Amino acid sequence: MQAPTYELTDTRLANGLRVVINEDHVVPVVAVNLWYDVGSRHEEEGLTGLAHLFEHLMFEGSQNVAKSEHLKLLQAVGASLNATTWCDRTNYFEMLPSHHLELALWLEADRMGALTFSQETLDNQRAVVQNERRQSYDNQPYGGWMEQLQQLAFPPGHPYQHSTIGSMDDLEAASLDDVKEFYRRHYAPNNAVLTLVGDVDTAEALALVERYFGAIPSCPDLVGAPDGTASPIIGEEIRRTIPDNVPLPAVFMGYRCPPFGTPEFDALTVLATVLGGGRGSRLYRELVLEKALVRPSEEFVGAFDFVGGASLLIADLHCAEGVEPETAEAAYDAVVEAALRDGITDDELARARALLTSDVLGHLASLDTRADAFSQHATLFGDPALVNQRVERLLAPTAEDLVAVGRAVMRGDNRVVLTYVPDEAAATEADGDAEAEEQ
Amino acid sequence: MLVAQRPEAGAPRPYRFPEFSRLDVAGGTVIACHLERRPIVSMALVSRVGAAAEDVAHAGVANLTAQLLGQGAGGLDAYAFAVAGERLGASWFAGAGWDATHLGFDVPTYAVPQAAALLRSALVDPTMDPAELERLRDERLDEFAADGARPRTRALRELAAQLWQPGIRYSLPQAGSAETVERIDIDAVRRWLASRLLPGAAALVVAGDLTGLDLPAIGASFFGGWTGSGWAGAGGDVAAATPVPGPGGRRVVVVDRPGSVQSALAIGTPGPARGGDDEVALTTMQSALGGLFTSRLNYTLREKKGYTYGASAQYDLRRDGGIFVAQSEVKSEVTAPALTDAVAEIVGMRDGGIRDDELDDVRQQRVERYALAFASPRGVLSALTDIVVYGLPDDYFDRQRDRIAAVTKEQVDAAGRTHLRVDDLVTVVVGDAQALAGALEPLGLGPVEVRADERAD
Repeated sequence: MQAPTYELTDTRLANGLRVVINEDHVVPVVAVNLWYDVGSRHEEEGLTGLAHLFEHLMFEGSQNVAKSEHLKLLQAVGASLNATTWCDRTNYFEMLPSHHLELALWLEADRMGALTFSQETLDNQRAVVQNERRQSYDNQPYGGWMEQLQQLAFPPGHPYQHSTIGSMDDLEAASLDDVKEFYRRHYAPNNAVLTLVGDVDTAEALALVERYFGAIPSCPDLVGAPDGTASPIIGEEIRRTIPDNVPLPAVFMGYRCPPFGTPEFDALTVLATVLGGGRGSRLYRELVLEKALVRPSEEFVGAFDFVGGASLLIADLHCAEGVEPETAEAAYDAVVEAALRDGITDDELARARALLTSDVLGHLASLDTRADAFSQHATLFGDPALVNQRVERLLAPTAEDLVAVGRAVMRGDNRVVLTYVPDEAAATEADGDAEAEEQ
Repeated sequence: MLVAQRPEAGAPRPYRFPEFSRLDVAGGTVIACHLERRPIVSMALVSRVGAAAEDVAHAGVANLTAQLLGQGAGGLDAYAFAVAGERLGASWFAGAGWDATHLGFDVPTYAVPQAAALLRSALVDPTMDPAELERLRDERLDEFAADGARPRTRALRELAAQLWQPGIRYSLPQAGSAETVERIDIDAVRRWLASRLLPGAAALVVAGDLTGLDLPAIGASFFGGWTGSGWAGAGGDVAAATPVPGPGGRRVVVVDRPGSVQSALAIGTPGPARGGDDEVALTTMQSALGGLFTSRLNYTLREKKGYTYGASAQYDLRRDGGIFVAQSEVKSEVTAPALTDAVAEIVGMRDGGIRDDELDDVRQQRVERYALAFASPRGVLSALTDIVVYGLPDDYFDRQRDRIAAVTKEQVDAAGRTHLRVDDLVTVVVGDAQALAGALEPLGLGPVEVRADERAD
């Protein structure tokens, strides 16, 4: 199936702001998406969680926008909006009726150019973030798995070794000066990509972007990304058993792997689908349909999209009632070993390719996710048009490529295994909403 | 220099709900909506019968039946059926809500005919393997255990049990309970399929880029030659028993979880059914109270007090009744003040009504965002499904925006007075009962009952 090619304009203002525009007039809506090239990997020691805490402060007022007004004004015109922080980026986005484009640009420019800082706001948002940490990590069944995998799968001091949410202590310690310096060194036009997708006229939109963002000075001493070079494999198997107040045992595995953007990563994405994507995957067949060892998942295996030196391939198994985690893990190992020993069939490859193609097409059909993909590829790889090659790249790896990358990555001396087991005595209790959104 | 002046809005582009067509073919109905450049089409068979119509002893049968239909059909076992769809790049979905059941695929345009054939075989020739049902049942039980571990879902489950009389279907979660699901055998599933799901089957709904598809032929293959109890089209008998609320008056139930660092709060009452004359006014009021980031509950509990990551309130409006619920998860040590603040906001909205600026904001917000909800195939599918399931006029979504724009303060305040039943608020707290001992009684929320947390179901 032929994937559509999205036409786009890719340009820069004099201050370095990269602007990507893709017209789409099907509905009178525009997606505004802004990536700042800063994430938790840029954080210094003792300041973990600062990138994410900062993201919250971006909603708390700027030179011409009062506290809470950003959200209020956008919501009032029907926008859906949010922001997220991840290891490699912080993104801010809104989708709104296209005749309100100018409002969104004005608001984004104002907080890029002149954010307001106050101790009161910092303290309030620190409390909100600490509650977020309680809700999503500390008080959530299995909530700490990702943080632990990152910590164990990367060497000490590696940029991906700490979580985006950060530690309670570091959050507590963040000062107003820390926050101001972070803003100065990262939140500048020459460290950002602004993407507009939807019902806009490119020339008019560019003129508006120039009007609102053109006067914001660039930062002469941006902080670049830290060196994420790491040896390709961990070098040992690291195991931890975690007694916790969880209803059923679960096993989380992390393998160090090549970064997003490499052909190896693409091959790994296809392999992950063969092994654990959809309901026709090997793991689904063996562990769910035939043996009923684990709770069903349509994504047993998947890779984080880290770009800085190395990434992380994840597998997770939630045991069915009465199944020991060792049993589930052994069955998983047998499936992976068989695939990497005996190879992948044409039928399996065709299924994975069809599913991944549909995923990409569906993802790019929506204005907001398409805009985010352009910002992502511009920020991380320097070229938004690479989005148009996503399908092609996922169709490229052969069955042999899959096996080769699988053998290099999914090996015993390259993984962290976390086993959660129910602990009746554990006092900590589980908690609700696992949503990833930051607002 | 930054531009100091906030820009004025440009002229709104005209908007209409996407055009759709109804096609009666071979005794069935295809409802189709072409959406330019949406290459993944959402396609579903919609039945007007959902969980609300279940006998409470077999709560969960609607959902299990829908799921079992995807576990093999037309001579294919569960694995082969899954692969057949996925080879097309199609993703299967199946499930029952309170008022409807959906089965279908998200599928690339070119593969719609083949996916429609697979969907048909799931409905008319399902394998119905009892071993697969047993597996699905076990999976469901594991899911209940996981749900029960999450304070938020645990709180909602307790609230439903408190709001409705035992034996009323609404008193149990949509997916049923461990006790009821364990009881569902293959005969119960067969009965449900033949007597409820298929007779309630109302339409095949298709939304997305339909370029080049021969919909009459797809419809004829889909509906033709069906010899079972027939595509009723008329909707069959969808009436459920009238839900009976529990006893009125305020009260508090604490579900004890020693050591919790947060308390999950759910404050609710029974609410009206869908389709009331004041529905737009009611949902406007709900947005101002707890439907938006800037709404009163979130503003007070999160932005002003820093008690929580978020607070919200909504009406869940179903065909035969509904609930109102305000929710939050707060730091344990602020449970009592957070409850006081939340209830004060609810009472304040009822007694003081909506402010003019809030009404303007909510009205504008809802009018402006109207187009956003229908920009994706799934969004359009959901709207078309509502037309089918609730018997709405075809121009409902075209006109709803005007109704939203026209709502007045008097209407909103009247809806608040009618439906915010502040004297009957039931408060559920999932948290550390010992840490809360004595703190909740003085709040005026009624008698406090502490329950041990049974984790098994």
